[in-house]
Amino acid sequence: MAGRVIVITSGKGGVGKTTTSANIGTALAKSGHSVVLVDTDIGLRNLDLLLGLENRIVYTLVDVVEERCKLKQALVKDKKNPNLCLLAAAQTRDKSSVNAEQLKKITDKLKKEYDFILVDCPAGIEQGFQTAIAGASEAIVVTTPEMSAVRDADRIIGLLEAAEGIESYKLLINRVRPNMIKSNDMMSVEDVENILSCGKIGVIPEDTGIITSTNRGEPIVNNEKSLAGRAYLNVARRINGEDVPFLDIDEPKDIVGKLKKFLSGLKKQGKEQ
Amino acid sequence: MEQLANDNMYVIDLGHIDSAAEIIFELSNMLDSENARNKKICLKLGNVDLNQAQLLSIKSLINGINSILSSVDTKSTETEKVALALGIIVSNVSAENSTENIPAMPYKSAEELKEQMEAENTEIHDVMQNSQENNHDENINNSDIENNRDLNSLPNIQENTDINEAVQNKSESFQTADNTAVEELTHNENEQKNELKDELDIIFGSNADKSSIFQMAIPEEMYESKEGITDIAVPEYEYTKEDIELESFPTKYIKQTIRSGQVISYEGNIVIIGDCHPGCEINAFGDITVWGILSGIAHAGSGGNQKARVRALKMNAIQLRIANCYSRRPDSLNTVYIEKTNSFTPEEARIVNNEIVVFKIND
Repeated sequence: MAGRVIVITSGKGGVGKTTTSANIGTALAKSGHSVVLVDTDIGLRNLDLLLGLENRIVYTLVDVVEERCKLKQALVKDKKNPNLCLLAAAQTRDKSSVNAEQLKKITDKLKKEYDFILVDCPAGIEQGFQTAIAGASEAIVVTTPEMSAVRDADRIIGLLEAAEGIESYKLLINRVRPNMIKSNDMMSVEDVENILSCGKIGVIPEDTGIITSTNRGEPIVNNEKSLAGRAYLNVARRINGEDVPFLDIDEPKDIVGKLKKFLSGLKKQGKEQ
Repeated sequence: MEQLANDNMYVIDLGHIDSAAEIIFELSNMLDSENARNKKICLKLGNVDLNQAQLLSIKSLINGINSILSSVDTKSTETEKVALALGIIVSNVSAENSTENIPAMPYKSAEELKEQMEAENTEIHDVMQNSQENNHDENINNSDIENNRDLNSLPNIQENTDINEAVQNKSESFQTADNTAVEELTHNENEQKNELKDELDIIFGSNADKSSIFQMAIPEEMYESKEGITDIAVPEYEYTKEDIELESFPTKYIKQTIRSGQVISYEGNIVIIGDCHPGCEINAFGDITVWGILSGIAHAGSGGNQKARVRALKMNAIQLRIANCYSRRPDSLNTVYIEKTNSFTPEEARIVNNEIVVFKIND
């Protein structure tokens, strides 16, 4: 069976495309699938940093395209998970170094040997975006519950619908802060879904652990205790076709809130019994 | 008509000319010369009476070549008045004494210069002769001054001496501790050598005692520094032809911070005064020296030179490549930020047994 090519895109920068790619990729690899992460953000690559593979990169996507090396040579194996590979972008070049056809050729080749090919898309809707979506048949649109990010996501969904190869797309709502939603300071997950009229594949809560994990070069899914990590693991399971209920991200920080939640949980259990 | 010049002063003597029109004509001819530009001009005039308009036109002529008419030397009272009215200094002296009025000294004659230099260098000369009595004759001294001009190519010392011998037809031998490989090197500097000789003949006169001039160099230091550099750079190797080729690579100096995504490639040595941030790439045929923190990718000897080195004040390179060897930074060293302190220990990477090894300079 041929692998699935999934592009992770957003339009707006800084919403967490790269973090999402690294974590979903790692989560899928943990569940036993063979995964290749392709960084198409040429000139502003970050995916290698998030995975802590920066010092291992010798050949890049551009080298493969320009036939200075074989595709296999450019795939960097993850430190911990042998199922996970990274095809890094060149830092010293720009987006025009690779065109859509060339990337499609590469993803088609990878499809034959790997279960999942995750393409990390650059921000924007220009050539870099068009290149990144070329080989993909599925898309994950990352957005945050902010008006600007939602607008950009809307634009991206429009472009994805117009694109030929994309068969399905799903929404991933990142950096959600339940407390702010409660106080009506932030759009709720449902609001975002309604505005974009698009099904969601995951809801990731805001987590300070993301910052430390990025700095350390280790994806947060490796940390089982982290809420965001668990949310990403669930996204990976949903991509796999499992029906996983959405995580209750409403975890109050103070003791009173925690007690209330615990009690309400007991009540529910009592009713069920 | 006489022109005397020093650094900033330019004297034009038109004392022998009697009419205003001729003065302006002569002056415009002389101001065409490159020497007169950007100078303070001192104009010497004879008995000619110049009116205000004529002096003004002279002044504007001089201003036209970026120079200033600073003083006028005249015998005529008429001209003197006009000049004073225009704010020009007037020195009213006779033509015979006029040269003494030039404020700064013009350049020294060749003879004076030679004398002065000899006086200054007697001490060095003595020290040198004591230490080299047995081995070196004056020829070596000749060669040393040339080397002084070309400190980069140290191995040339012998080479030049060879040439020097050829030129002067003296075949006295001399022995130094240097290896013989160097001697086989290029001899095409003969022409340069001859040119230098001609130059010196012109400056000091063909009868001048050249050896005394050449002794201005400090040969002792030359030899010392050569040994020192040999010790630091290539302790375990004898100098071979390739080494000398490496030494003779051109060097590119870059005084800036190299940032992510920037690539610096050069078919020679690269010296960077500044930091190299992660994500940058430096490719050199020869050595790479970073006067700062090296955090990017450095590839020395990219043409295949196994003896190339990478040096940095702080070695934090993501990857080091020398010739066809490559190594990556240990994962344990994956620090986000390196504190800039005043006390770095410089490090040097080189190939030992086909592996890249980073040495602290102190080791």
